[in-house]
Amino acid sequence: MIDQWERNVPVYDVPIWTRPFIGLCGLGGLAILFVSYRELAGLGPASGMNDAYAWGIWKTFNTMTLTGLGSGAFAIGVAAWLFKKKNLHVVMRTACLTSFLAYLSGLALLGVDVGRPWNFYWVFTPWRWNLHSPLLEVAVCMPTYAMIPLLLENFPPFTDWLYSQKPQYRPYVKKSEEIMIRFYPFIVGLAYLLPAMHQSSLGALMLLGGDRVYPLWQTPWLPILYVWAAAFLGFSCVAGTLLFCSLVWKRPIDRDVLVEMNRITAGLIGTWLMFRFADILFRGVINLAFKFTIYAGLFWMETLLLALALWMLLDSSRLRDPRLMFHAHLMAAVGGMLYRFDPTTLAFQPKPGAFYFPTPIELFISVGFVALAIAAFMFLVKVLAILPAPMRLWYSMEARENKSQRLAAITAAD
Amino acid sequence: MPNEKPTIAEHLERAGVSRRSFIQLCTTLMMTAPISLSLTQKATAWEVAKAVGKAKRPSVIWLHFQDCTGCSETLLRTSRPDVADLILNIISLDYHETLMAASGYQAEAALKNAVDENLGKFVLVVEGSIPTKDQGQYMKLAGKPALQILKEVGQKAAAVIAIGSCASWGGVPSASPNPTGATGVDSILTEKPVVNLPGCPPNPYNLLAVVLEYATMGKLPALDDQNRPRFAYDRVIHDHCPRRAHFDAGRFAREFGDEGHRQGWCLYRLGCKGPVTHAACSTRHFNEVPDVWPIGIGSPCVGCTEKGVAFNVPIFQTVELRGVTPPEALPLINTPIGTVGTVAAAMVGAIAGGIGGAALMASRRLPSGKDFQDQTKSNEDDSQKPNVGSSGGD
Amino acid sequence: MTLSRREILQGITFGTASAVATGAASGAVASGVAPSEYPDAPPAAVAMLYDNTRCVGCQSCVSACVEENKTLVNAPLPGIHHTNQELNATTKNIIKLYKPADGKSYAYVKQQCMHCVDPACVAGCMFKGLQKDPVKGIVTWNSKVCVGCRYCEIACPYHVPKFQWEGFNPKIVKCEFCKERLARGLQPACTSVCPTRAVVFGKRTELIAEAKQRIREYPGKYYQDRVFGEIEGGGTQVLYLSKVPFEKIGLPDLPPESMPEKYLKWQKRVYSYLAVPTVLYASMVAVIRGNWKTHQKHMIEAEKATGLRSQL
Repeated sequence: MIDQWERNVPVYDVPIWTRPFIGLCGLGGLAILFVSYRELAGLGPASGMNDAYAWGIWKTFNTMTLTGLGSGAFAIGVAAWLFKKKNLHVVMRTACLTSFLAYLSGLALLGVDVGRPWNFYWVFTPWRWNLHSPLLEVAVCMPTYAMIPLLLENFPPFTDWLYSQKPQYRPYVKKSEEIMIRFYPFIVGLAYLLPAMHQSSLGALMLLGGDRVYPLWQTPWLPILYVWAAAFLGFSCVAGTLLFCSLVWKRPIDRDVLVEMNRITAGLIGTWLMFRFADILFRGVINLAFKFTIYAGLFWMETLLLALALWMLLDSSRLRDPRLMFHAHLMAAVGGMLYRFDPTTLAFQPKPGAFYFPTPIELFISVGFVALAIAAFMFLVKVLAILPAPMRLWYSMEARENKSQRLAAITAAD
Repeated sequence: MPNEKPTIAEHLERAGVSRRSFIQLCTTLMMTAPISLSLTQKATAWEVAKAVGKAKRPSVIWLHFQDCTGCSETLLRTSRPDVADLILNIISLDYHETLMAASGYQAEAALKNAVDENLGKFVLVVEGSIPTKDQGQYMKLAGKPALQILKEVGQKAAAVIAIGSCASWGGVPSASPNPTGATGVDSILTEKPVVNLPGCPPNPYNLLAVVLEYATMGKLPALDDQNRPRFAYDRVIHDHCPRRAHFDAGRFAREFGDEGHRQGWCLYRLGCKGPVTHAACSTRHFNEVPDVWPIGIGSPCVGCTEKGVAFNVPIFQTVELRGVTPPEALPLINTPIGTVGTVAAAMVGAIAGGIGGAALMASRRLPSGKDFQDQTKSNEDDSQKPNVGSSGGD
Repeated sequence: MTLSRREILQGITFGTASAVATGAASGAVASGVAPSEYPDAPPAAVAMLYDNTRCVGCQSCVSACVEENKTLVNAPLPGIHHTNQELNATTKNIIKLYKPADGKSYAYVKQQCMHCVDPACVAGCMFKGLQKDPVKGIVTWNSKVCVGCRYCEIACPYHVPKFQWEGFNPKIVKCEFCKERLARGLQPACTSVCPTRAVVFGKRTELIAEAKQRIREYPGKYYQDRVFGEIEGGGTQVLYLSKVPFEKIGLPDLPPESMPEKYLKWQKRVYSYLAVPTVLYASMVAVIRGNWKTHQKHMIEAEKATGLRSQL
């Protein structure tokens, strides 16, 4: 039987409180505890940040790198709506949810990271904005994106749930859907404009690092490279998530959709690699890649991971082999994340003798927030119709629900 | 026929000084003599006594020229050994205008006798500068110009010690415009070994040490390029000043009597010439009372030993520092920042390994390779299934 | 993966539109705005000139700065005086030592905020927490708007702004040219106490002239016969004359353009007047609308076929 993803179906046959879920919630809770320590004691005792490396993994990893992974809604949306890849509509909800949770987690940690968060209200006063600052662009655009278009894109599963579980709200649901339908292109357009803007501005942030960012990374094209990387990172995250979820919850895999995604990802990675190499060649720094330095090592690691991913994506598409696909997307994700992380920390040398390594508390908080996002995902896909599946799964879900409804009616009658 | 001069030991015995007192004297000498003299390399007072006892009391002739007698005065302020010990037991002070009883013609005769009796063997100590202008008429002794006396007596001396800044390089009388052409000894007695002991006044122990070294070992201590003994003049006061830590920390007294001055902070800004003055005052204080030296009592050093500084650079004018070794406490241009903790490193390893391992293990359960069943069918069935969101083509 | 004709046309439309917009925006910016796009020093700009051939490493300036700014004393033990290895939250001014391998040609350097003519920190600060005074050119920090994001620390090529890592009300600490003293007609604390006049205060134009005069008087004494800060990084208001190479005393090798000019030029142009984003948005919405209409049609068809509510 060929599996085709036709509809989004909740993971209805798995309990919510599984051991991994509890574990992740625990990690998240611990992280929140540590956050209160950070708030009271200050950033110094809680983290390994210092005056040379003023940005630690909270900003550079959770916000700058993981939101790259969380660009699934952006990348897949652009493919589906602007390039008419119709097969991808069925994975849009997964993409939107993963993006939303990644952004939420990243932005929350950004709130933990800033030293004087009580002044953040100035973000609502445009006359106080410094329009030249790339960080302002990020600070305005990312929360706006997460809280408006991305949140709205995540409404449909929730309204569906309301419709089926809370019949008394059906008129409101219908009304909201009408509004949604009317303004859909505008919302969705914003959902692609804003990430394009801020993912590129995330790249622009390290432009001011000047020549303290190693020349293999520092380029005027950094914003473009960042947003392009966000594109394939988004695809890899969603494809990887889908494969992993299908594995864990034993859901059918739609190879056609995955192959489509693979091919797009491969195209993105291929063009990205070409662009990167062209940039390095034209700037005349290719010789740095052949020195025996850590920087050259990192550069080749990124390149090889992505090249390997590229090859594996194409190969797995040809073979229609899910395991190979999963490995490929893993490679692509790691390579892309490494690329986005390098100019901020590993390839950033503010002054000789400066060094940074996160402290255990810092790591806990970082991991904990990611854990919370994953836990939220696990919970939501079980309650709402997010993950794609063939129609037969929908019917079996309905059957189970009807069965239980009938059972309830029988027991009530007794 | 002149008698053989007695050795110091014999002389002391005759003078009725007990052996015990002599050993005590030698202990004192050993302790107070500056380091790097052969005297201090002896292990015990007995060895010192042996060396000193064998020596003969050197004859010392002390001439005063354009002086204030401050250098003689400074000599009087010693007690270990005191001047009495010095001139009675260690040296034979055969001519000293301030201390001797004779005057007038008797004094002139005393000088002649002293020189004749000790021809070629006496130590000439000169105090005060020598005027050279107008045939040196600005200082005359018994009608003869100082220049002449110095040349006559100096030629017959075994060694010459120029005590005080005046004798070393001209001192106060040589201050601009130097109307008398005052100059130091070593520019006149160019062929004799001259030891300069500048200072205004110099520390008396410098003289004692040189004399003792000469008396006991028969040689002069190591000299620098200005003929100053290295043991006392090889470093500048700034490099050995007890207030140096304040200098290094930027704590300066800015006015006499202000808070910094009361706290004993550095006097550099009040014109202290410590950085350019070679002397040992910071470690060997005066009057044998600790901290009795200019900086110790809160007065900036005026550089009294240093030619070109003393009586030349105004007292309260700050000097330029050149070639001063910077303190170790100053940070270097690039200091290391940030470290990695072992726990943190282990955590990162664990997280990365954990995620990677889990992913790999999980992926094993994904269908792979073998499951090719639907590969051939996929293309045929594609168009028939109703797909939500699929387009029928445009 | 074949594209339909319509898709190709749509792709070309918004691709061209955005390219045109970028071109128009940058053209507008370049032609009309370029000469004053990156600022020069204000005419009454104040400055300091530091000459390390005169500095004796006495650190009077460091003590005076602590006294004037009432920064906390970093004394690890009672009785041990203020010791800092770097500019940090407890010192706005520091003297450092360049100790070469030969152990002879020492040089000192005074480090503090350079008060650049076109500062990178000001360009990076989101809510103008760091601002450059238009009259005197002093770069000051405003605690009321600073969010503590520390972008200024990343941006500054001289590693000047420092963050208070301890406590829950952290500030950014950096030299602010003793603006209160300047308001009272006095010199900054550091320049007023220097015993050898190694660091002096004056107007920027005058001090540059003074520096050039010194270079003329002593040819060969100063490194490369130039004063650092005249053009480096767009120019700074703290000028340096040094007997050893500037890189040895920690001054970075910067091009004549300021950091914002060199690195943020395109960011600025692409977003100016929000022209490019607006055009991009308009073209995307136009494309999406077309696809959305088709999508809706298919959703309705699917609803009819399966009898299930369509999933948006």
